[in-house]
Amino acid sequence: MKSEKVVERTEINYKEQLERDVLAAMAKPNRWYWVALGFSATCFLIGLISWGYQIKIGMGTAGLNNPVGWGVYITDFVFWVGIAHSGTLISAVLFLFRAKFRSSFNRTAEAMTVIAVMTAGLFPLIHLGRVWFFYWLFPYPNQRLLWVNFRSPLIWDVFAVSTYLTVSAVFFYVGMIPDLAIVRRLTTGIRKKIYGILSLGWQGSLSEWMHYNRLYLFLAAFATPLVISVHSVVSWDFAMSVIPGWHTTIFAPYFVAGAIFSGTAMVVTLVIPMRKIFSLEKYITLDHFESLAKLLLLTSLIVTYSYIVELGIAFYSGNVFETAIFKYRMMGDYKILYWIMISCNSLIPLLVFFRKVRRSLPSLLIISLLANVGMWFERFILIVTSLAKDFDPYAWGLYKPSIIEAGITLGSFGMFFTFFLIFTKVLPVLSMTELKEEHE
Amino acid sequence: MKRRDFLKLMGLASSSTVLSACGVDKKAEKLIPYLVPPEDDTIPGVPVYYNTTCTECPANCGISVKVREELPVKLEGLSGHPINDGSLCIRGQASLTRLYHPDRIRSPLRRNTQGQFKPISWSDAYDQMMQTLGQGGQHLYLAGRTTGTLSELIDGFCDERNIERLPEFESYSYAAIKEANRLLFNQSVIPHYRIEDADFMLTLGADILETFVSPVSHATQLARAKKLGQFLWYHAEPHVSLTGLQATERLVIQPGSETHLLRFLLRYLLEHVDYARRLPDAVARAIPNVSGEEVSAQTGIPSEELNQLARQFAEAEKPLLIAGGISTGHTSGLEVAALAGLIQWMMRMTDIVVDFSRAENDANVGTMLDMGELSQRLQEGNVGVLFISRANPMPNVPASYGFKENLRKARLRVGLSDFLDDTMQACDIVLPLSHTLESWGDTQSRKGLRTVIQPALEPIFDTRTEGDILLQLMQRRTGNTGVQTFREYLFTRWREKYGEDSIESLLHKGYFEDSPSGEFVRLSGTAAAELLTTASDPVDFGKPLLIAIPSLRTFDGRSRVLPLLSEIPDPLTTISYGDWVSVSEQDLRSNQWQDLDEIELTIPGGSIRLPVKTQPGLPGGISTIHWDMLKPLMLQVDPRTGESICYMDGVQMVSRGVSVPIPYLSGSSSQEGRGIIPDMERGDEDHDRGGPGMYPEHEHTDYRWAMVIDLESCIGCSACVAACYIENNVAVVGPEEHLKGREMSWIRMEPYYEEDGSAEFLPMMCQHCYNAPCEPVCPVYATYHNPEGLNAQVYNRCVGTRYCANNCPYKVRRFNWFKHERPGPSDEIQMANPDVSIRGKGIMEKCTFCIQRIRAARDTAKDESRKIQDGEVVPACAQSCPTQAITFGNIEDKRSRVYQLAHSFRAYRVFEHLGMEPGVYYLGKSEARSQKSEVDRGHQEDSN
Repeated sequence: MKSEKVVERTEINYKEQLERDVLAAMAKPNRWYWVALGFSATCFLIGLISWGYQIKIGMGTAGLNNPVGWGVYITDFVFWVGIAHSGTLISAVLFLFRAKFRSSFNRTAEAMTVIAVMTAGLFPLIHLGRVWFFYWLFPYPNQRLLWVNFRSPLIWDVFAVSTYLTVSAVFFYVGMIPDLAIVRRLTTGIRKKIYGILSLGWQGSLSEWMHYNRLYLFLAAFATPLVISVHSVVSWDFAMSVIPGWHTTIFAPYFVAGAIFSGTAMVVTLVIPMRKIFSLEKYITLDHFESLAKLLLLTSLIVTYSYIVELGIAFYSGNVFETAIFKYRMMGDYKILYWIMISCNSLIPLLVFFRKVRRSLPSLLIISLLANVGMWFERFILIVTSLAKDFDPYAWGLYKPSIIEAGITLGSFGMFFTFFLIFTKVLPVLSMTELKEEHE
Repeated sequence: MKRRDFLKLMGLASSSTVLSACGVDKKAEKLIPYLVPPEDDTIPGVPVYYNTTCTECPANCGISVKVREELPVKLEGLSGHPINDGSLCIRGQASLTRLYHPDRIRSPLRRNTQGQFKPISWSDAYDQMMQTLGQGGQHLYLAGRTTGTLSELIDGFCDERNIERLPEFESYSYAAIKEANRLLFNQSVIPHYRIEDADFMLTLGADILETFVSPVSHATQLARAKKLGQFLWYHAEPHVSLTGLQATERLVIQPGSETHLLRFLLRYLLEHVDYARRLPDAVARAIPNVSGEEVSAQTGIPSEELNQLARQFAEAEKPLLIAGGISTGHTSGLEVAALAGLIQWMMRMTDIVVDFSRAENDANVGTMLDMGELSQRLQEGNVGVLFISRANPMPNVPASYGFKENLRKARLRVGLSDFLDDTMQACDIVLPLSHTLESWGDTQSRKGLRTVIQPALEPIFDTRTEGDILLQLMQRRTGNTGVQTFREYLFTRWREKYGEDSIESLLHKGYFEDSPSGEFVRLSGTAAAELLTTASDPVDFGKPLLIAIPSLRTFDGRSRVLPLLSEIPDPLTTISYGDWVSVSEQDLRSNQWQDLDEIELTIPGGSIRLPVKTQPGLPGGISTIHWDMLKPLMLQVDPRTGESICYMDGVQMVSRGVSVPIPYLSGSSSQEGRGIIPDMERGDEDHDRGGPGMYPEHEHTDYRWAMVIDLESCIGCSACVAACYIENNVAVVGPEEHLKGREMSWIRMEPYYEEDGSAEFLPMMCQHCYNAPCEPVCPVYATYHNPEGLNAQVYNRCVGTRYCANNCPYKVRRFNWFKHERPGPSDEIQMANPDVSIRGKGIMEKCTFCIQRIRAARDTAKDESRKIQDGEVVPACAQSCPTQAITFGNIEDKRSRVYQLAHSFRAYRVFEHLGMEPGVYYLGKSEARSQKSEVDRGHQEDSN
């Protein structure tokens, strides 16, 4: 009897502690938070100014040229879409598979997804020559009877990305409703009112939970194929072309694996410092990180396999154009970037095979950061080298990013972290209800 | 808000969005209908054509000026003209930009005491000149090559004012050829070479397709000769030239050893040709008998090739030999020219193909020796007024003459020019000359041919023609000379010569040609024998050797001022902006240089620093530099002829360890085994067109436009590129953008070198594919396949994703990275073809097959209730092509030329295996070449 009471007491303690800890993370920010936010916002501002300048002067402010019509902007786009991937994967797929370790960082991952898709979605606009006509990419009825070209993978992108953003945002929000109700309960004044509105009058009744669980399951099931489809569609931007090095059927699975790889790496990169700063060690444990590290390793191996297949097919094909482009990647003007990519994406992640490494947070942080770097370069190599040396040798040319492109890329990181930092302060960073459930 | 109001507001908002959405930049212009139509019957939108003469170089091709709304918009070769027959070269096309150049001199200028030019009025300028003319000293008149009525007027002016008219100044004076012809035939002229009447041609050093005498004439004739049937062309040169690369067989000859080759040929032909004239004994004795092996060793030409050349020369029915250019630009140049002249006479070429009765009319043109003499006279300080008209001797006279320093010693230097070039900078008074398109005049570039210069617009600036200036100066002295303007003077002369009635037809036709006199030259045996016995020995140049060569793009530097000619790359190196030295691959490797490394070139007489660029095919130890890039001009002059010696041995080349960023546009000088110009031997042509597509087939009811480009005819002269730039308002973006790879050319000349040093040139433009890869990827249908088979680009619809350009295997799409500046003379006057919109920033553009010309033809056809006929639509590139290599037409029509050519056995398409079914067909190497390669293969097998 007594022991039962103790258990109940600890149970209540755990729940209260959890709520207190999460709410503490949402409390008045300290100085370091403001420094971090200020830094991110400055970067974001630099990006906005660079973009404004580019719109005023012209796309020539970027380093793009005739053979290389796409460069850093499309690299950034694919990179951020890739980052956006793991959110849904960790949340929805692992939810469907009932993987327990998910609940420690599914909120972070989902937030990351929404913010990353928002960031990614800007890049197709940034790279437009006449961005002021971006709405022509949408099929809206108009008197001129103009319609979009549904054969163009760019239109598929518009739909894929906007669908993904909508579903991710809904999934993120729906999963948060019970937590928002907790926040409502524990706050006062204007905040209580706002969280009251946001929690949509959640009472926690049995019927609500029943509907909620059905909806969440449905959304998870709906979001899962999107993980595959969005990045497949993004990969078709390249695969549907005729350019050697782009025109390959392996691109869809290769991109999806790459996206999950980079997304998982980004989750690790974000969660390690967040766990430290908000003192959430109790809820996000080493075991959780180990599971993530294994996922990282698996996707790294798939990516490596894709690299090998790509090379193998190119050389086996006997096609002079294919062979030349892959030789060029390895030994041409951008070879340093290629080997950085191979090191970061294929070689260094192999260290995760060692238990010591995957249970050490510093080494995981470094590996995940390198994986992000490697994946950025992968997209860069893939986009730029194929364009720089395609069919007609006369038209070959090199591409060097400009300061404006660097500024806008910096701005995209600034935007991502600004929004992420705001997220950590205004929304519960852990899924309290799920953690409670898991604890039981 | 009521529903009606809402709809109204929405309508207003959306229509204003649509109105403001026009992406094509245009100035806000008011459209006011003519209440009172202009007197000269200008109808908006209807072009008027004037026939006149191009004066960009001394060849004086006939041009037809297209004038729209009182402004010239395009120059085209004058069809049927005896010189160029409808074609025009790169410089001639660019000549239009000279008219609109913002840096033209806009009014008379006088140098003030601080040495700066200040505008003055014409009468002030005249007064000052009259004043100095009244004072003592010998007054001199130096002009560039002048022919026709203006030359008569200058004579009159000089007689009246007691001015000495100096021999005219031309950098390329052809002094050795003229001197040789004077000695042999007593005619100090350059004959007219009738290539079209020959079946065999040997050219020694002469860049007949670039600058030599009359390049467009040579190119058009060459094309005709090739079309007539078997035409063999050997070209011997020590370096690599655009002309040489076009020859059936290019022989690499030891520099300066042409005399050996000619002596051998002369002996051989004398023995083997029945119809050869007997040489006078004295002459025959003066020519040493040499064996083939000796000559082969001396000239570096393998003896099989030498024998083959001699045999084919002897077998030819109507052979032609042209020696000139750099083969006469050394100390035994006179012997080369004289031996060539002897062979021409002996082989009876002087009766037909080497036509002295239509010789070039440059008897007044002096040599570098005359410039030396002028410099000497200036130094003596006895020169009063020195007029320098249409000539820029300062950078083109050897620095050793001290012309620059001595020029200061004239009491008054009066310059007549359109630009403040180096020589004008040194003048006291500069009088601005009108552009040819603003002038009246005539030329007689060759005997029996008078071409008309008539204005197409009023002078843009306060400029006058040279004739008017001279007449006004004469009037100032006498009060009245009886004529008011040069136009009246000109018409009086024409009336005297051709009668009152013929003037109208003269103006309409643009030229008048006499029937030739039919006189044949006679060989002066004694003079020939004397020349040959006292002949100087063939030169044996040491290496490294630097050769100064003429420039296709700038001639002798006179066209350098036109930015378009720097925007279009040199077809051999693909360098666009900047100066350079071409070196051999061997030298680059052995010196461990990289392309564009800066080299200090030390020549006896001075040194210059320039970047190097590899020229495939150049023999080791030989470097070439364009004449106008050799500044100061460190050339010697042959004292016998006055010809510049363009060979400089004893050159030291030291790398300075820095790289000079000058743009070259080609990503690779080789085809990289991609079969872009398929080689029948190599069999690298891939005709596999893939499977059927996913999309429904296009329907072409009336027309499907297609183009055929004959690579056998194409000479890489880039005239098409210049024509396209001007016709389509393509932006000139400058060196910075070229370095970033952002040139805007719609058509480009791609040179592809083989390992043996030969090269092929391929004009590349939008291929207007049937299954165009650019079309499905455009998200907004800005590019689509139109019902006439064109791959159309809708500028207004384009949002600038650049996906189409990425997906184009030919990389012919051009993106507007900025709003491009279009500098012109004023805000009101801009050079632009009003039929083609000027593209704003953020828009993709590319070759349209000159859709504006298709439209114009369709309008005409519709007015006459018929379909467009074959040959009615001629795109700008095809129009300008001197060899008629480009054919355009409706491939749906089985009787059209384009259909027939596209179905010939030589037709292929680039990257055919991609299954895109391009609308541009190329005609590969001809039968003659493939036969030749079979002969080569036979040789190889033998030697194996």
